[in-house]
Amino acid sequence: MSDAKMLLDASDREMSAAYMMWYRYSRKPAAVIGTLIVLSAIAMAVFAPWIAPHPKDVGTVVNFRARHHAPELAHLFGTDQVGRDILSRALFGMRVSLLLVLGVLGISVPVGTVLGLVAGYFGGWVERVITGLTNVMLAMPPLVLALAVSNLLEPTLTNAMLAITLQWWTWHARLIYAVSKSVAAEDYIEAARLSGAGPLHILFREILPNCVSVISVKTTLDAAFVILLGATLSFLGFGVKPPTPDLGSMVAAGRQFMPDYWGEVLCPGAAVLYVTLGFNLLGDGLRDMFDVES
Amino acid sequence: MTDALLQVEGLNVSFTTYGRTRQVLRDVSFSVAAGERVALIGETGSGKSVTAKAIIGTLPNAATITGGAIRLEGREVLHMPPGEREALKGTAFSLIMQDPLSSFNPVFLIGTHLDDVMRFADRRRGVRASRAERRDRIAAVLRRVQLADPERVMNSYPSELSGGMRQRVLIGLALLHQPKLLIADEPGTALDVTTQDEIMNLINQLVREEGMALLMITHNLGVVRKVADRVVVMHHGDIVETGDCHRILGAPAQDYTRALIDAVPPLYGPRVTTQALTEGAPIVEAGALTKTFGRRRSEFTAVREVSLTLRKGEIFGLAGESGSGKTTVARMMMGLLSPTTGQVTFHETPAKGRPLAQIVYQNPGTSLNPKRTVAQSLSVPLKALGKKGAVRQVRMQELMALVRLPVSYLGKYPHELSGGQKQRVAIARALAAEPKILILDEPTAALDVSVQKTVIDLLLQLREELGLTYFMISHDLSLMRNFCSRIAVMLRGEIVEEGATPDVFAAPEHPYTRALIAAIPVISDDEERMKPAVTDEERARTLVATTV
Amino acid sequence: MQQHPMVAILRRLGAFILVLVALSVMIFILARVVPGDPARMALGPAASQAQVAQLRAEMGMNDPLLSQYLHYAWNAVHGDFGMSLVSQRPVTQDLAETVPATVELVLASVIFMFAVAIPLGVLTAQYRDRWVDVLGRLISLTGVTIPSFLVAISLQLLAARFWPSWPILGRLDHGLNFHGGPTGFMLIDGVLAWRWDVVASAAQHLILPAFALSIAGIGQITRITRAAMLENQRKDHVLTLKSFGVPERVIVFRYLLKLSSIAPVTIMGLEFASLIGNAFVIEMIFSWGGFASYGLEAILHKDLNAVSAVVLVSGLFFIVANLIVDVVITLLDPRQRQKGGR
Repeated sequence: MSDAKMLLDASDREMSAAYMMWYRYSRKPAAVIGTLIVLSAIAMAVFAPWIAPHPKDVGTVVNFRARHHAPELAHLFGTDQVGRDILSRALFGMRVSLLLVLGVLGISVPVGTVLGLVAGYFGGWVERVITGLTNVMLAMPPLVLALAVSNLLEPTLTNAMLAITLQWWTWHARLIYAVSKSVAAEDYIEAARLSGAGPLHILFREILPNCVSVISVKTTLDAAFVILLGATLSFLGFGVKPPTPDLGSMVAAGRQFMPDYWGEVLCPGAAVLYVTLGFNLLGDGLRDMFDVES
Repeated sequence: MTDALLQVEGLNVSFTTYGRTRQVLRDVSFSVAAGERVALIGETGSGKSVTAKAIIGTLPNAATITGGAIRLEGREVLHMPPGEREALKGTAFSLIMQDPLSSFNPVFLIGTHLDDVMRFADRRRGVRASRAERRDRIAAVLRRVQLADPERVMNSYPSELSGGMRQRVLIGLALLHQPKLLIADEPGTALDVTTQDEIMNLINQLVREEGMALLMITHNLGVVRKVADRVVVMHHGDIVETGDCHRILGAPAQDYTRALIDAVPPLYGPRVTTQALTEGAPIVEAGALTKTFGRRRSEFTAVREVSLTLRKGEIFGLAGESGSGKTTVARMMMGLLSPTTGQVTFHETPAKGRPLAQIVYQNPGTSLNPKRTVAQSLSVPLKALGKKGAVRQVRMQELMALVRLPVSYLGKYPHELSGGQKQRVAIARALAAEPKILILDEPTAALDVSVQKTVIDLLLQLREELGLTYFMISHDLSLMRNFCSRIAVMLRGEIVEEGATPDVFAAPEHPYTRALIAAIPVISDDEERMKPAVTDEERARTLVATTV
Repeated sequence: MQQHPMVAILRRLGAFILVLVALSVMIFILARVVPGDPARMALGPAASQAQVAQLRAEMGMNDPLLSQYLHYAWNAVHGDFGMSLVSQRPVTQDLAETVPATVELVLASVIFMFAVAIPLGVLTAQYRDRWVDVLGRLISLTGVTIPSFLVAISLQLLAARFWPSWPILGRLDHGLNFHGGPTGFMLIDGVLAWRWDVVASAAQHLILPAFALSIAGIGQITRITRAAMLENQRKDHVLTLKSFGVPERVIVFRYLLKLSSIAPVTIMGLEFASLIGNAFVIEMIFSWGGFASYGLEAILHKDLNAVSAVVLVSGLFFIVANLIVDVVITLLDPRQRQKGGR
């Protein structure tokens, strides 16, 4: 290690890890903006029934007199083909998107993490089986597999979740596998094993803490991809059942009235973009904060 | 001093990280006259590399030059327009890079690198030359740095050459333009002792032949004696003293310099270790161990028919260069790796759940989990021994006292500790498991000389207090001479010499042992004269694996 | 030590065949086992119990699962995926007609991706934190975050508003009397038939969907290229060349570019999966009539034979793409050639 690098490290020695992370994070305006967007999106989803201007429009309301209104004060995003307030429906649609994220990542992150850790640490046939399985799963385009699965079952939110989750864990498993394998080769893992630590201790107390930063960055960025995938599924007609509002199916509905009422496509589309942008900025910010290589 | 080739005057540099600024160079002034050879010496964090980087113009972004001047041939370089400063590179001075692997782009041939450097140097000087002419000139330079087959070197990718060969190419690169000043930043540090020695000899010879001035950045006092006329000693960003090389090494004026010199283990004369080293009963016996890795065509025998006995209470040293198989032998003897053929017999069986041996690793940076505090790292072996609650707490405090660290350090994370402190924690963790044997895998190789000495002293005291047996693996023969009671030397998977340490050093039998001892950089001329003689033929026979 | 590139490539090919076999098992389970009774599904609820039983026997569904799979795999290897319920033709025939359209679209957008993303990545890295970088990063961020259907629809809207004569649906003007040629690629078939009007029209039709399809990849590859360039700029070998007076532009465009293109090419292999997925959306919006449109139709109608063939072909796409990526990487990086030799 060069002398200059050592000097840099020596000055780091006097600072706490938390301070260094906070410093890196606060230097990135994009990361702060991302945090605000994600927090606001979560707030919108949670409080949708209270902040939506026309909460009744979420159901099967028909108001033909108000159909295809351009954006105005009463309807900031305009109204759709049966006169429902697009803003209100978009707020509820965000709920669906975030629930999907919660469901997909809530299962695939723990599953992928555990399998990745196990494959990276134990090696041998366990490693071969798990990496082989991920290779096969990754060969199928996620959207195509999700379409096929959700079609065989019934198109509901739960089934869409299931269809995406079926493949999503492999991405995490692959990533954690790579980290786990490199950590497992470190001297401190052998030292722990030599001093009598069991495999559970090594996996979850020694290796896992070294994966936390990678997992949180990946999970945040994945949230954006899951939202995109979910929106695309419902855009193609495999999402939640109407009349439940969903951003993807709202775009699909609006598309029939193009190009005259283009707002009906762009407004729900913009809502998707808003959330995915937030998660992406936040993920990049976390990456800088943890100093993780991409 | 107007005729100085390089003059550094009152240089001040500070680093800003995470919004905090610290000064790393304070009023650094020295000069290098034409044809003079100067060594800049210091330990980690002394600022020697920062000084070199400031001269070359490659300081990291976090650094700011807050004052002073650097003059090359009388011209101030710090305020030069960038283009003009670029033009000095390779002509006024050349740099010999430190790490020979990362110094080349891995996806381009060595020849491409060399050709491009020469092509643009020619262009700046208005020389027109064809590709073939340049190739001949490059081949000539490569031959000068003792690369016998320039064509093969040029047609190789960096990863296909040995470290020594790459280092030679880097020296060749520095020679392409016939600079007046050669700046060398710890050349060959990553290489084996014998290769490093040859590289130093080569630089020395070329500098003399060309009449170049040399600025050598190093932490190794032995290297200083070999190449320098004058020495500049640095410590924590200050120049401690400057003077004639022999004067400084023989009669340093400053306490810091004296401490630095005293920390170097002597190759001859009285050994630092004074305690009686006893020969006890065998504790581990290895019979005809052989280990092969890989399969079929890629099969490779790392260790061949090695038989060793480790005795209770001794400090056994296994010496060898990288790839000699010494680590593989140690692992097989401790049951961490099963031999392909041969067997290991343990004469002492440890109590249930207690390991016989623990390892202290070479690199303290990777032997502690960065995400766990010192207390958490220490608690693992204690938990395995069934120590709970208050008993565990008390034991942790005992261990910290044993390795001479304050109890308050238990709450710290590894990145908050210095290299020496980390190594102490690693030793404490090894001791926590209450082993009979400690395997010391180059335990001081990554540390500064002065820290090295304190760690070695600690290990010696611990052995006495706890009655441990040490099995040390190292390439550093001068360290082993002072530390080990018995040593064995390995070459390409086989043991070529074995015996009590004083006997081996007094009369090394195998030419490889002699070559290893001869390659150790020493700090006094007396020691240099006492080194065993190695004929060129012997050198060629034993070292063929490391250099070409 | 040096291994012949061909050996490495053959080794990877073997691994990919294994993946393909495993994939076919999964699809078989998905299409034959999960849905319950394919015979009932094929005949509909009105069919009698006897009719279903007869079809089950015809489909070989009373045999053990293993022999059913072997039968299925044997037929698939011979290009027989059975009959499509929707088109009432052999699935293979449908695929043969639709796959080239998709390949043409995908290839065009891959070319687009690299042509835009690599220079953009290099520029943003080179002018770090200046306006070029900020703009480039904004473009790549948008590319990564925006849903591809939104891009496609927006492009159609813009074209409709500002250039109404620009085609936004299909592969060719209906007025042109042209029915394809031997390759199935409109551009190439047009050239082969010396029909420049066809080539021009095909190119016009291709640009918007190819661009819409490439947006996500452009974002991803720009990011990766930029990150790789920045990381490699800090490496010692840059310092070596710099300190011996090799000009910056040579270091960037020769040394760094080749080294930094390894990462984006590697990523491209994985990105291919989402590229195929997005093709389903883009083809639908632009009425492209390729294999993805066919797949979507099949999925909507629960046409199991067609669905399993479509999923398998999607996987095959991915595998072929990754094989090509491997070959390119092996050629780019000598370290890859040395691997496995030791």
